[in-house]
Amino acid sequence: MDNSGMSMIAGWYLARDVIMMEQMPIFGGYCGGVEETAICDVATMLASFALFDCDIHLDGPIHIRWGITTTRETLQIAAHAAAAIDLNSDLLLANQYYTLAGPCTEMCLLEVSAQSMTDTASGRELVSGSASSKGVVKDMTTGMEARVMGEVAEATAGMEVSEVNKILDKVLGLYKGQYSKPPMGKRFQDCYDLKSNTPTYEHMKVYDKAMETLRECGLNI
Amino acid sequence: MPRSLNVFDSFDRFSVGKKVREDTWDYVTIPKNALAMKEKYDISFGPEVIPEDDDLSDRLFKAGLEMLAISGFYNPNLGKALSVTEDEILAGVENAPRKVKLGRGRERVSCKPRRGNSRRKPIIQGGPTGAPVSEGIFPQMMESYAQERVVDTLVSGVLNTVSGRPSTTNTPWEIQATLAEIKYVREACDRAGRRGMGI
Repeated sequence: MDNSGMSMIAGWYLARDVIMMEQMPIFGGYCGGVEETAICDVATMLASFALFDCDIHLDGPIHIRWGITTTRETLQIAAHAAAAIDLNSDLLLANQYYTLAGPCTEMCLLEVSAQSMTDTASGRELVSGSASSKGVVKDMTTGMEARVMGEVAEATAGMEVSEVNKILDKVLGLYKGQYSKPPMGKRFQDCYDLKSNTPTYEHMKVYDKAMETLRECGLNI
Repeated sequence: MPRSLNVFDSFDRFSVGKKVREDTWDYVTIPKNALAMKEKYDISFGPEVIPEDDDLSDRLFKAGLEMLAISGFYNPNLGKALSVTEDEILAGVENAPRKVKLGRGRERVSCKPRRGNSRRKPIIQGGPTGAPVSEGIFPQMMESYAQERVVDTLVSGVLNTVSGRPSTTNTPWEIQATLAEIKYVREACDRAGRRGMGI
């Protein structure tokens, strides 16, 4: 935490604002493997509340090779860290979404779905997304990803965790082979009708296909 | 139990903290302590993405708590690490808010503990999550999130330009862009008929 960060927090704290504090542990970086990264994730979440007046913590374990939050390893870190805090406190936990694939692709929506299932079933209070195409390409985000994030969260809430794990194994298996060549997808202005501000027919077909795939994997959606 | 710390207490702790080189912190302190905690608390993940073993979750919590207590926290400007005890951390956890209201009026939502995989869904915060967005489509893109039934609150994108000028960090245009983002997000809420959504 640098001095600029401390000064910003001081301003929000004195103004009695709601403070959402973001931290993204890197899997494969200084921390080490999945277990060590999860330990550092728990430690930093606790620090956010105990040292920096955080009201809601925004997590985002990220893969050093792929730069996304939706890999099996980063979802495992997020889930274990959230469950550990959830079981031992009433702290408010959130997670953010960075997918490899771009909008208007089934892979993008399946990545969002896998993380939404993970976050919901591990007890998080808020999900925030999605920065598709790793959040670095201009105009490559749309409301459709948030629709899927929310609908999958609704479908997952209340399920047995063991059941969610089985579905997750299937969904993760569908896109992990595409990491080295993910579909680019389309810009917002190319997959939304800008007059009605609604997804194009092609975009809706991609959504329908992703929902069908999730149902085939066992999610009641 | 000791009182919890606030940001001013933490800054004072940094000021009297132990001098540590940043590369020592990154390459020695963190990996060494994380590995020690992994071994001490026997933390080993199975094949499951989401843990099904409460004992493992409890041990991970203890490992994270001790990791923070033995390592402290690093400030790269001061080149110092603050010290904090387990009791002080737990006091901070105890005093953290258990409920936060987001938004206003009929769009206000309450963020409160779910406890495991509760039947109550998490709050859905939609938006580009800091991804870059062209000025020409910014309000429409934000509206595409606000109009979704399942979306409860919004997270903004980053305006790529403002009045055609790059919103470069540490320039006056960055401030102009930030204010424009807020204006556009509020307009998007209005256009979606959802004035008062939490941003």
